[in-house]
Amino acid sequence: MENVVSVFSVTRHYGEVTAVDQLSFEVFPQEIFGLLGPNGAGKTTTILLLIGLLRLDEGSVQILGVNPQLNPRRVHQSIGYVPQETNVYLDLNAVDNLWHHAALYCEDLSTVKPKIQELLHLMSLWERRNDPVRTYSGGMKRRLALARTLLHDPDVIFFDEPTLGVDVQGKHVIWEHIQKQRELGKTFIISTNDMMEADQLCDRLLIIDAGRAITLDTPENLKAGLGQDIVTLQTSLPIEQPDEVFQGMNIGAVKSLQPGLIHFEISHAERWVEEIINRVKDNYHLEAIRIARPSLDDVFLEYTGRGLRD
Amino acid sequence: MKRFALLLRNEFKLFRTAIPVHLIGIFQPALMFSLIALVLVTPTFEVQMEPPVTALEEQLFFAMKQVGSPIGQPYIDPVVVETSNDQEVQGGQIIRFERDAGRETAVQQFGLIDSNMVKNFRNRLTAAALLIWNEELGGDAITIEQEPWLPRDISYNVYFGMAMLPLAAMLASSLIGAFLTAQEFEFNTIIEYRLSPTSRYLLIGARLFRLSLTGLFSGLVLMVVIGVMTGTWPSSLGGIGLILLAVALIGSCIGTLAGLILQKTLPAFLVGLTFSFFTWIMGSAFGLSSGFSGLYEAVSRFMPNTYAVELLFPIYYRVNTGSSLQAIILLITVGGVLFLVTNITYQSRVLARS
Repeated sequence: MENVVSVFSVTRHYGEVTAVDQLSFEVFPQEIFGLLGPNGAGKTTTILLLIGLLRLDEGSVQILGVNPQLNPRRVHQSIGYVPQETNVYLDLNAVDNLWHHAALYCEDLSTVKPKIQELLHLMSLWERRNDPVRTYSGGMKRRLALARTLLHDPDVIFFDEPTLGVDVQGKHVIWEHIQKQRELGKTFIISTNDMMEADQLCDRLLIIDAGRAITLDTPENLKAGLGQDIVTLQTSLPIEQPDEVFQGMNIGAVKSLQPGLIHFEISHAERWVEEIINRVKDNYHLEAIRIARPSLDDVFLEYTGRGLRD
Repeated sequence: MKRFALLLRNEFKLFRTAIPVHLIGIFQPALMFSLIALVLVTPTFEVQMEPPVTALEEQLFFAMKQVGSPIGQPYIDPVVVETSNDQEVQGGQIIRFERDAGRETAVQQFGLIDSNMVKNFRNRLTAAALLIWNEELGGDAITIEQEPWLPRDISYNVYFGMAMLPLAAMLASSLIGAFLTAQEFEFNTIIEYRLSPTSRYLLIGARLFRLSLTGLFSGLVLMVVIGVMTGTWPSSLGGIGLILLAVALIGSCIGTLAGLILQKTLPAFLVGLTFSFFTWIMGSAFGLSSGFSGLYEAVSRFMPNTYAVELLFPIYYRVNTGSSLQAIILLITVGGVLFLVTNITYQSRVLARS
């Protein structure tokens, strides 16, 4: 599988500060690749370096086999970029914003009109297409920004904080659109510090902090790597010898929290939950069972610490 | 061509992002001209006077009526008013007559008027007195003859308005250009331009052409206002259009440069405003620069408005004032150089990686 984006030891300094430090990663076709990090981690700087808006101090980048630092115009023809702050013309309507983009980006202007109609329908903006963008909600503005980027049919889309300031319903709509576009062949590189977004949307996540790559994996593997699931059991009769009761399940050390309340670690708890219930329900009168799984929040805090980033 | 037309259409649609600035830029010169022409520029002064009683006083009254431009425009309109001696003259002036032992004196009493108006009254009344004096002297009179250069008398309003035409083109193009360009940075829409694969010459060209057309429109609005108010119309609409377009191109470049360099709307707007008014005042705004001091004339040679006025003069007055060819070459050269400078600045401020 040929990489869509290849990043080798990219470094960028701002005076004494190293904003991006020896960053290397690859993005595959039709992937939704997430840059996850706290505020000031270097996510936006990384995107700006990748699309050639910032100069590299060290390293190299290839997008679809082209170096954006050497041949930015060729790269810009095949990428789309949606910045963190939605940069549409607020006093123009959606149609005029899209025509503005078309004049700057679209090679074949004869196909623009039907494409605009299609995108406005797709993004559920058709009914409001003639209203000034100033009157749109945050989610509508983000959808318009995405529609604008899709207008010139780029292969790779860089989406900086896709749902920043968007309500829950709006977030889900934008995620659906991103996933739909991925199915149509687009590759997305998004930056986020929204754990739910990173977890639900991204195929792989690169956690960066202070400009450095901390870890890179799928959300599932990142969570799994943090530890096993924790099972908590509440029974009316205390389980005297839990090692015997749960023999063959390969559980970790059992801790008794209070009489009738214990917890232990186990891999893939969902596979064992029925068996656990069967073994304790009759003899110990099971009252409650709870399974806790490490979240991406836990992963994030584990890797980036709990210190405030302002 | 299709892309350029679309870019141009988009540029005009950006009108909606800065409506007040467009209104100020386009209509301010016409409004300013209307107010100044109506209120300030009046060649014929009303001079109030007590009813003349003696023969000499009658003589002064008729001499005042005769004072005027060589071509016949009156400078004084004597108005006889009945007043008591102790009545105050608050807003203007009045001529009263004093008769003392056979000596008659016309005393002009001023109210709240400035020294410039006092000078204007003095010039006009001196001219009236000279007429009486010359009649007395007969063959020994000091004869002053003024030969008009222009074939017909055109009011000062027309010159003033004509010299404002380049201001109109400059103001609209530079103000709007500065504001729209700086606004792209403030709203971050400049990113769209930074990543665009379209040639920068097309992008800049569309913006400058749109601004130049806006400047031209502002000039044409003023031209119509001048025509309606003074009854004077240019002999060549095409000529006016080309001159104003050249000035507007210069204004467009200055405004766009201010926006690109300052990247903030207010300072860029002020640069456009200051540049427009400076080049207007120093560029033959109140009379051909050759009629002013050497320093003014020297400075005015660096103002595009000076050359524009020299080119507009024959269109309004049917008389050449200088080398039209030189003025045309200068305007085109300055416009061309500024177009290149704007492109280079766009490259360094927008496209270059930081």
